[in-house]
Amino acid sequence: MMMLKRKSKDSKTPKQSASHKKWTIGFLIAAACIWTFYTYIMFRLPDSLQTIFQTWLPPTTVNEAMVWVICAIGLNIVVGYAGLLDLGFVAFWAIGGYSAGWFMSAFFRQVNVHIFAPHQTLKTPGIHVTFWAVLFIGGIICAIFGMIIGAPTLRLKSDYLALVTMGFGEIIPQVFTNGENLGGFNLSNGTKGISPVDNIGVPGKVLGPFDFSWKFAIFVLLTAVMVFVSLRLRKGRLGRAWLAIREDELAASMMGVPLMSTKLAAYAVGAFSGGVGGVAFATHVNGVFADRFNFSISIILLAMVVLGGMGNVWGVMVGALLVAWINSTGLPAFGDLVNNTFKTSINFPSYNFLLFGGVLILMMLYKREGMIPESRLKAIMHEADDTSANIGGTH
Amino acid sequence: MKKSFRAVSIVAAVAMITTGLVATSAVTNAATVLTISTDLPLQGSSFDSNDSTNKAIALYLKQVGYKAGKYTVKLKIYDDATAAKGGWDDAKCAANAQAHVANKTEVAVMGTYNSGCAKIIVPILNQAPGGAMTMISDANTNPGLTKSWNPGEPDVYYPTGVRNYARVCTTDDVQGAAAAQFAKSIGIKSVYVLNDTQTYGQGVAQAFTTEAKKQGLNVLSSGAYGEGWDAKQTDFTALFTKIKALNPDMLYIGGIFDNGGAQLVKDKFKVLGNNTAVKMMAPDGFTGYPDFNSMPEADGAYLSFAGLSTELLLKNAPTGAGAKFVKAYKATYKKDPIGSYPIYGVAAVQVILAAIAKSNGTRKGVTNAIFSGSGITIPAAQSVLGKALTISTLSGDTLAKDVTIEIVKGGQETTLKAQTVK
Repeated sequence: MMMLKRKSKDSKTPKQSASHKKWTIGFLIAAACIWTFYTYIMFRLPDSLQTIFQTWLPPTTVNEAMVWVICAIGLNIVVGYAGLLDLGFVAFWAIGGYSAGWFMSAFFRQVNVHIFAPHQTLKTPGIHVTFWAVLFIGGIICAIFGMIIGAPTLRLKSDYLALVTMGFGEIIPQVFTNGENLGGFNLSNGTKGISPVDNIGVPGKVLGPFDFSWKFAIFVLLTAVMVFVSLRLRKGRLGRAWLAIREDELAASMMGVPLMSTKLAAYAVGAFSGGVGGVAFATHVNGVFADRFNFSISIILLAMVVLGGMGNVWGVMVGALLVAWINSTGLPAFGDLVNNTFKTSINFPSYNFLLFGGVLILMMLYKREGMIPESRLKAIMHEADDTSANIGGTH
Repeated sequence: MKKSFRAVSIVAAVAMITTGLVATSAVTNAATVLTISTDLPLQGSSFDSNDSTNKAIALYLKQVGYKAGKYTVKLKIYDDATAAKGGWDDAKCAANAQAHVANKTEVAVMGTYNSGCAKIIVPILNQAPGGAMTMISDANTNPGLTKSWNPGEPDVYYPTGVRNYARVCTTDDVQGAAAAQFAKSIGIKSVYVLNDTQTYGQGVAQAFTTEAKKQGLNVLSSGAYGEGWDAKQTDFTALFTKIKALNPDMLYIGGIFDNGGAQLVKDKFKVLGNNTAVKMMAPDGFTGYPDFNSMPEADGAYLSFAGLSTELLLKNAPTGAGAKFVKAYKATYKKDPIGSYPIYGVAAVQVILAAIAKSNGTRKGVTNAIFSGSGITIPAAQSVLGKALTISTLSGDTLAKDVTIEIVKGGQETTLKAQTVK
């Protein structure tokens, strides 16, 4: 193990930063292409071509996938960097969503607060704070909750930790589901949810429901910020401490890594990203609804991270885009194509989880490190292959 | 080198697939054809009923030769449910709303099934560039969509100030009131109200509670809409044990069968006894579910339906358009439509087609046809509902206030009587 660490450290640094540069440029170019396409080209295309894009890659799907990316990047910090298995990440998405519901809508009719809010909202009661501030508010609230959940779990390891996070992921959405009457106070409007939320204000404009490319640009910006934060943290002292904990907690603490603050930081940063994703999602759906936040969301997020490549933000991004697309558009559209072509009536979307499960099993058998693996994790996993083929999943 | 080769081959493959798709679909488009769509949950246990609705609408369009006035119409089907949720999904509703607007030939939507989903879609259609797009529902019974109900409603759903939402069924305030009046008429003295905590369930439970109190019934549950039950709960014995101590004559279940209804009904039977001992009544959220009707515990349960049940339609106008249509449906699909909403789906399409015929073929034109001037009335001779159907130009609600009371008998929903609201 020691030898391996030295080896990967020596060979990696210059190569990896070069690859990050490549990926960053690739990401920005792809984002710019998609933006240009949906802003200027799409509506000029002949109708038949437009229909194809609307069927296979509608702008709403692209935007929704970006939200998944933001959340998955957050989860990647907790699971991929610090190696703390989190099965309840949906809780942060929910808290972020409700932050948007509380601070960007007419929900709290009893008060009348407007802070840099879009001018249309000035006549309506409720708390109306500008989207940009709510991003921070949502993120901070989530970070605090991240630390709250982190604190009692510090003494737990692997499976036990996963169970606690799962419990947390179940409790928070239940609080929102039943939060219509908490001692007479309506916290969440129950399953009816909070809708609509305020539109996003940008300089000189208030975004309506059809300003996809604007929203896309904003979501890309948020993703870029989260990626930047991830990469910078990963390189720095904190990131190295996370990796040390991931690989051997005992050894790390012996070497002087403060377990408590390092783990809490992972939860806090990850949760912040989840909160930002939650706020973004609320503006995407124009509301926040309690039933959405169920266990399967946590699992899908985890699948994105694992499939894409735990620990590698770019892998996680690709994994999230792919899984989100399959989930929302790919599978139904493919199902329609097959059913129309062969005159069958198979309900493809209902096989969603079968497909995910199958792919996950195959990945675990043949490509455990994910589609675009982190070089370090790959080295560790293949170390096991080299020494003894019988011991599969050591880490 | 190897890597870049791989990238090139992937790009090439994607390009080939795209061109292939373009080539296949470029043929099918004609500019004068207008699209109408349905937007219903096609996964989860409401599938049977909504699938019937889609089939009924497809059949009806075939019968009228895909014509509305001088326009040709075609049908596009949207699903607002996802497998992961097993029912309507908020993100899917939002995505569908965008898809309706993006589909240039689409002029009107028939849907949704769930009021919650309508509350997401209607505001987006309302702001469609070039004029609001109309949606007409066969099944949304939440009053807030069209009239003052919760704070801010219904104006929050119409940001541009123009109305673009109509429905052919009556609303929960009418349905709940009819149910309470019916309860009084069969000699019920005391009642316990439950709701599934959703928009629809609470709405109908609230209307029931209000009217029951007005009728002098003893409402044993507290609050404006009774006690909420948690759809995810796997056992309701404790809840019913509590209720048993209060000894109500009847239990009113405001909600949707999908939301843990099966377990609720089983536990009710276990603790409170059968539906003769303590009567049970549920709104239309429990109609159209073969799964519910076939439960032995459901036998004798009363149901209300916010319209005229298909059975009543046939009885009231045995030779009318509705009866003929039901026969045609049976002849085509070899079975009856499931529940009563499929016929209402066709009624909604009749309104849409009439509006298209009266319009200039644009979304705005269709919306104006319904919400301005004389509005839309489907005369009794043509209406599949067996009587004239008029949509209010102000609210978009139907002027009819029909509610049908049904009873579950031998695994079937059987019509008991029509209850006109006083």
